[in-house]
Amino acid sequence: MPEQNNQQQKLLGLIPLNWRFDLTSVPGVRWLLKRRWFPMIAILINMLVFMIILTSGIMGGFSSGNYSFGVMIVWILWWVMLMMFLVPVLSRTWCMICPLPSFGEWLQRLRIFGVNNKLRGLNLKWPRRLRNMWVMNFLFLGTTFFSGFFTVKPLATFFLLGGIIALGIVLSLIFEKRSFCLYVCPVSGFQGLYANMAMTEIRVKDPNICAKHKNKTCETGNKNGYGCPWLLQPHSFERNTYCGMCLECFKTCPFDNMAFNLRPPGPDLLVNKGRGLDEAFKGFIMLGIAVMFYVAMMGPWGGIKEWVRGATLRGWLSFVGVHTVFCLVLIPGIFLVTAWLSKLASGQKEVSLKTVFVNLSYCIIPLGLAAWIAFSFGFLLPNASYILHIISDPFSRGWNLVGTANFPWTPVATGWLIPLQFITLLVGYLVSADFGYKLVCQTYADPAAAKRGFIPLLVFLTLVIISFGWLYGG
Amino acid sequence: MKIKVIVSVIVSAVLVLACTVGPIAATLIYESYLTRDLTAEIITRSPEKGNYSPRFLSVPVGEKVKLRIRNVDTVVHGFAIPALQVDAGEIKAGHSVTLEFTPEKIGKYDFYCTVWCSEHHLQMRGVLEVTAQ
Ligand code: SF4
Ligand SMILES: [Cu+2]
Repeated sequence: MPEQNNQQQKLLGLIPLNWRFDLTSVPGVRWLLKRRWFPMIAILINMLVFMIILTSGIMGGFSSGNYSFGVMIVWILWWVMLMMFLVPVLSRTWCMICPLPSFGEWLQRLRIFGVNNKLRGLNLKWPRRLRNMWVMNFLFLGTTFFSGFFTVKPLATFFLLGGIIALGIVLSLIFEKRSFCLYVCPVSGFQGLYANMAMTEIRVKDPNICAKHKNKTCETGNKNGYGCPWLLQPHSFERNTYCGMCLECFKTCPFDNMAFNLRPPGPDLLVNKGRGLDEAFKGFIMLGIAVMFYVAMMGPWGGIKEWVRGATLRGWLSFVGVHTVFCLVLIPGIFLVTAWLSKLASGQKEVSLKTVFVNLSYCIIPLGLAAWIAFSFGFLLPNASYILHIISDPFSRGWNLVGTANFPWTPVATGWLIPLQFITLLVGYLVSADFGYKLVCQTYADPAAAKRGFIPLLVFLTLVIISFGWLYGG
Repeated sequence: MKIKVIVSVIVSAVLVLACTVGPIAATLIYESYLTRDLTAEIITRSPEKGNYSPRFLSVPVGEKVKLRIRNVDTVVHGFAIPALQVDAGEIKAGHSVTLEFTPEKIGKYDFYCTVWCSEHHLQMRGVLEVTAQ
């Protein structure tokens, strides 16, 4: 069977994966995306919010975590929004409006709104061996070691965000452009991974126009905008993974050839380019963290909760150990066995085990994202009403800014929580299986071999969903 | 041309300051406005985590006292001075309550937590001393 390309494939046999709608065809949208003050205005507003969060991190005292503005906004509102809406629907729009790297970027540009393609700083190239997701993988995993502190101690949240900002400034002065965002930021990797599932994308409209355009201003920049700050080539985007949606290419393209498309979720998973072990591990780590967080925060095992919270050093070290082994060894290990069995079942000798392992790993992305969304429901429904309180009293000082300080804590629709989580996980499972099959077909040229090679993968996915069901239901 | 550059530099600087230093300054100003006539602020924590802070307070007789009780703990606490008929009721975690009263008699008055907040709850207490002017 000739390898099916994305053109003919359908999501769950229903929605054609090549369906696109260019949002810039709506009047006014392209105009907006081409303004120099957009998205900078949104970044500035966002920065204001972050300053309040940082202030509340300091003023929030040491212990009253669950109820502090910073903790609530960051870990309930922001995190939940990222996982449930921003990333799955809008790809990396968070990065579009993210204030964390702005100080560094302003120092490089010595401009806020204007264009100056002679960037300051040392402008060094990022070390070649680190041009992948590994640094982010370890940084993110490392950050989760302290999750028990971030959610209870406002000061810990302050140091985390402050640390990211400080690191961003330092690295921007040493390395070129957004090296920090591309290779270091802990928030970056998982957005990149799950943005493959997003329902929006930035792509060129007509590749022929790009082919004829000699000096590719989207890469080099011109008087209207900067060359891609994310060191990419907008003219040949095929995946969302590393595009931070800064919109500079809309400004620098003299032919208005950039499009902001609406699309069905997931086509990037099938792009057989740029794949690697680093991204595969990102997927495993995110899946592992989703399980661990659920166990630690919502599971019935109080002992593990104490570990995570760091009640004793030994307990905390046990958590770190178990967590690390689970994410970096156990899950990838089981998947390696799956890949090996798949290769064996397919009988295809010429495909390397590494290729099978890496290719197939992309099918756990939908299920991983679903696990995170299900987990987020468990945060959102019980705690959302508390947001009203902290907006009125952000520093726990008895303020009442918008009159909602005394709004009682009312968990909403908690009866729906478990059904909602199950439905989410089930959809994730079906989409994962669907992409799993497509990926198997892509990996093994022969259709019969692909069918055989799919069975171990389906068993793996089924085992994962059963353990999730057990975890969430039991 | 020159003027344009100067204007844009000023506008940018103002915007950046407004979005960075702005919220911090506004917070501090608003907070000091709200606390301008506060006699004292008492932080509440369970005894094993630090108890009331401060636990001893001295105020002059016949003058209005304005106290802010701020619960920075993760559990509900209370604050009451029964002899002076002062009771803040339940103060939820992360909440604050402001109390106003005027003590008319010299003496030492116990204040304590009215919510069973930990196994050391009974030790969660302090003293308000009312002195001659
Ligand atoms: S990569 Fe990180 S710092 Fe950069 S824009 Fe995205 S979230 Fe912000
Ligand atoms: Cu108490």
